[in-house]
Amino acid sequence: MIQFSSVSKTYGSGKDAVQALSGIDLTIETGEIYGVIGFSGAGKSSLIRCVNLLERPTEGTIKIHGKDLTSLSKKEVRQTRKDIGMIFQHFNLLNSKTVYHNVAMPLLLSGEEKKKVSQRVADLLDFVGLGDKADQYPDQLSGGQKQRVGIARALATNPSILLCDEATSALDPETTQSILELLRKVNKEYKITILMITHEMGVIREICDKVAVLESGSIIEQGTVFDVFTDPQHRTTQKFVRSIMNDGLPESILNEINRKEHKHIYRIQFTGSTTGYPLLSRVSREFALDLNVLYGNITELQGIPYGNLIVEFIGERADIQRALLSIQQQHITVKDVIRDAG
Amino acid sequence: MLVDSTQIIEALWETLWMVGFSLLFSALIGLPLGILLVITRKGHLWENAPLFNVLNGVVNVFRSVPFIILLVAIVPVTRFIVGTSIGTAATVVPLVFYAGPYIARLIENSLLEVDKGVIEAAEAMGATPNQIIFRFLIPEALSSLVLALTIATVGLVGASAMAGAVGGGGLGDLAITYGYQRFDTTTMYITLGILIIMVQGLQTTGNLMSKKIRRS
Ligand SMILES: Nc1ncnc2c1ncn2[C@@H]1O[C@H](COP(=O)(O)OP(=O)(O)OP(=O)(O)O)[C@@H](O)[C@H]1O
Ligand SMILES: [Mg+2]
Repeated sequence: MIQFSSVSKTYGSGKDAVQALSGIDLTIETGEIYGVIGFSGAGKSSLIRCVNLLERPTEGTIKIHGKDLTSLSKKEVRQTRKDIGMIFQHFNLLNSKTVYHNVAMPLLLSGEEKKKVSQRVADLLDFVGLGDKADQYPDQLSGGQKQRVGIARALATNPSILLCDEATSALDPETTQSILELLRKVNKEYKITILMITHEMGVIREICDKVAVLESGSIIEQGTVFDVFTDPQHRTTQKFVRSIMNDGLPESILNEINRKEHKHIYRIQFTGSTTGYPLLSRVSREFALDLNVLYGNITELQGIPYGNLIVEFIGERADIQRALLSIQQQHITVKDVIRDAG
Repeated sequence: MLVDSTQIIEALWETLWMVGFSLLFSALIGLPLGILLVITRKGHLWENAPLFNVLNGVVNVFRSVPFIILLVAIVPVTRFIVGTSIGTAATVVPLVFYAGPYIARLIENSLLEVDKGVIEAAEAMGATPNQIIFRFLIPEALSSLVLALTIATVGLVGASAMAGAVGGGGLGDLAITYGYQRFDTTTMYITLGILIIMVQGLQTTGNLMSKKIRRS
């Protein structure tokens, strides 16, 4: 478990002081994959680097499994770091060493005996799918392979926590996908808690259980990925969600809506079990309305189906009001698109 | 020609001896100094502004004195260390004062080229400062360190020839006393040729070694 309590971080002092984090409260439970998202400069790297004290918080405490890091001696910090693996955007491998040596490094630093090291490295390389690359050098590998080496290296000391600082930001979409799969496997098979920071909402949707949105050094929203994606509260969060959920209206449809004079256009959001419910045909029959689906999509979030429809209601105003009420009673979210401004 | 081949061979030995010893001692001084210049700077492993400023200043002072002046200026120091201020052994002292700070700068540059991310990764895996220096910083910079030492060695060959001007022995001495002062151009060209071959050989070897380390 990782607990941030009122963590603040200021770089420099006096006139040049930059406050990168302010009053961060965040709890990451054991076994979770927790994502922190934010735009460039939001303070993501500062936040993740506080977890292994690469950056010391200016105020507040960070506890790992209940132990306050900021109170530890240098030696104890080093010891704790062996329990916290870290991977990086630019991999940060030793170019002068083979894949084998890169992965073995954390073990050699701890003075493990050679035989044990070679067995462990072989297992790790198999785990990340690079069993045949032990003797290659990093510059002979693709970006995805380098990150796999990074992951194997981070796992070498059997950590309970893995920190990922933009681990997929330097990779193409396909490679990103495969690295995310590997991280999920790390989480499942080794029961490792993962904290990842990213500016890509797709990464969060793909593997995170929970998400926190960071803006100007503060957490503006946090919750389960499902809740945050289906009902984002803060403008920035909405922007992030729109960036990948495709539930903003396409231009052509927006134009169409604006042309219609007496428009009754609503966004209907289904989640979970309600996606299977024949809502539209029932409403149409029961309230004698014509329903015109302008736009719609169904995606899956954390294994739960999530649908999004933009529907034009055509009929008597009173009937439409009753229909909307009836839909809401089914615990289905309906929003006025015109007022909601797409 | 006023000299015979044994004299030339003797001078060659003296040069090799001077360059070898001064390289050894200046590397012994320059290497740790270069490392300190890196790790004491702001935001690095062992940040220490006063120490950095002092070391940096001292290196700059020595680097700004032309060798020929250094040679004369530190005569008392040379006398103190070697017991005399003339002869081959005596030239090693100014050569070390000249090349030590030079090597420190070159080493500093090489080490600064190492990707900060690598050091960060080392810290994140719980490496001690010692481990970071010897298992990350130096191995990552090794290929460039070899080139730096090659440059320093070539510089020492040149400087050791200059030391000939004050009777330090070696090929430079030979070239000046016979070639320049007694107009023996043959001796001059022979020593020049040997020096050129020496420098070429050193540079080629250095390049090859550096390349081998970089595996490319
Ligand atoms: N070592 C440092 N010294 C001074 N200011 C810093 C330092 N590191 C970060 N900052 C500042 O702190 C703020 C937050 O930086 P941080 O690197 O945490 O952001 P980020 O969200 O990771 O951004 P990016 O997505 O660009 O990596 C920025 O304004 C940055 O300029
Ligand atoms: Mg960052």
